[in-house]
Amino acid sequence: MDAEDAPTSTPNLSDSAPRSARLPDSVRALVAPRTERDRERRRILALCAPFLVLAAVAGIYPLAEMARISVSEARFVSTGFSVDAYVDLATNQYLRRAAWNTLWFGLATTAVSLLAATATAHALQKYTLPAEDLLVTLLSFPVSLPGIVAAFMIIVLLGNTGLLTNAVAWFAGESAIDLAVATGVAGLFIAYCYSMIPRALLLLRGSYAEVNERAEEAARSLGASPARTFYHVTLPQIKPGLIGAFILTFRTALAIFGTVLVLQAMRVWTYEIDYVLSNGFQIQLAAAMAVVWFVFVLAFTVLGLKYTSAEVGL
Amino acid sequence: MSARPDGQQSLSAAFGRPLVLAVFVLTLLFLVAPIVVTFVASFARDWTGVLPSGFVSVRHWERVLGFAAYQDAADYSLRLGEMLATLPRDPFAAFGKTPLFRSVFLALGGVAINLVVGVPIAYAVARYDFRGREWLNAIAVLPLAPGIILGIAFLRAYPELSGTDFGLIVGYSLLKAPFMVLAVQSSFEAMELRQLEESARSLGASWLRTFLVVVVPNAKRGIVSGAIICWALAAAEFNFSYVVYSRGARPLALFLKANISNSSFETTAAAVSVFFVLIAGVTLALQLLGNRGFATR
Repeated sequence: MDAEDAPTSTPNLSDSAPRSARLPDSVRALVAPRTERDRERRRILALCAPFLVLAAVAGIYPLAEMARISVSEARFVSTGFSVDAYVDLATNQYLRRAAWNTLWFGLATTAVSLLAATATAHALQKYTLPAEDLLVTLLSFPVSLPGIVAAFMIIVLLGNTGLLTNAVAWFAGESAIDLAVATGVAGLFIAYCYSMIPRALLLLRGSYAEVNERAEEAARSLGASPARTFYHVTLPQIKPGLIGAFILTFRTALAIFGTVLVLQAMRVWTYEIDYVLSNGFQIQLAAAMAVVWFVFVLAFTVLGLKYTSAEVGL
Repeated sequence: MSARPDGQQSLSAAFGRPLVLAVFVLTLLFLVAPIVVTFVASFARDWTGVLPSGFVSVRHWERVLGFAAYQDAADYSLRLGEMLATLPRDPFAAFGKTPLFRSVFLALGGVAINLVVGVPIAYAVARYDFRGREWLNAIAVLPLAPGIILGIAFLRAYPELSGTDFGLIVGYSLLKAPFMVLAVQSSFEAMELRQLEESARSLGASWLRTFLVVVVPNAKRGIVSGAIICWALAAAEFNFSYVVYSRGARPLALFLKANISNSSFETTAAAVSVFFVLIAGVTLALQLLGNRGFATR
């Protein structure tokens, strides 16, 4: 594909020029580039092509088919146009409840996770801690754990036979079964945080690494308290990272499914999608719910990136 | 230094550091303790009281690895025993029998696609300046749709294909592509790309040759760590696998789910510990490459 790029292969041009002359200018520039600028354009396109093909085949086309079936009149073939699935969505009070659950739970767990991750990143960056490399490795280990394992970790800590449950039960002399919170909303909350804190930490460590320490030292030596220094000097510098981490962590929270499937404490949007799919394969409704999810998250991300100073990555 | 002009210590100077340290220690314990407890408990015979008891027992490990039978009829193990038994007769079929090797294979397929897809686009974004570059970058480093949504889209768009090896590989590759792009990008950003490219071109190499023989080998570290991270995350992908899986050996994440939902606590601890061992190996490999854990920069 790039044979013509090499300076030695120009002879090709003589027979390709007449044919390509009939093409529109922009296409001709890509097929038979004459200027260096055209060549560079073609290179950029060639470099992006594999990704765009994958995104189209594995992402855009399936998502478009999903959107199509959500407005289909028939269940197994996409025909006609009907917004029944969306009317269902809007009028079903269980789904409205699930949407509300998803949002407040996502926001609350994101807030808690960001707080814990900021403090952790702060301690890692500013304080002298023993075996820092090991600590960083340990803290990033849970990033690779799927949600179902995060849920099991909470069962290990707070389930019926959980470590903390039994420890508290032993000291308080109460029944462990009564104390176990793993399969309640509190347990689910903690399980969400288990997945989200390491991800938020990963992003915030990047922002903390770029903080100008001289400005902080100057503020401190001029008499500002640590809290004031943090608020007026450190915080403005990590703000883009913090907003970026908020966007990504909130997206993570909205996408969590395996954790809820294991703990079954609350019905969130992703859980309802699976529920309508596995109970009678209501694909139109499931697709409509997935479309709503997708549009919401896309809008949220695009607006977040456009109107804030957010830095993203991961 | 923390004294104010009036000689009084501020509240945050006195309590700020202990408070932050307390949150740090709690977070660390919260994240790490259950992993350690699970690993230790997997070697216990049972856990009925406050602490697990009956150390050291490998019974639960034998069970999940597939060398000993489960208590009930269903078999949620990795079936390694069965694999070893089939190996002399039919080596090709043997590896397909176990969730472990099926996942290893599927995740490797995903990584292969990610390499072809992720390295060039990371280079385009790092090296060239063009219209829409920022947005292209955002698309490349943000997951397009989460596993469960993509799973439903796959079921709809490719009904026959989505549960096959091919469907799983393609899905994994799209889901994990951002991690590859980020890891490779961080390598590219540390390189003098323009100089490198211009030197090679001025010495007579074509652009394609420059890219393949000069640029890519120089970003080896980022590419290898990206591949390792993508591999581990693809092997651990639950949501997508759960929606589209239809037949054959369960992918690793579904093996974990089957155990979490059905097996006794200690057996599940062993199953999850198998996964921990795998991730620990991956972390070690990343460590040897100079990364600290799963960070991509």
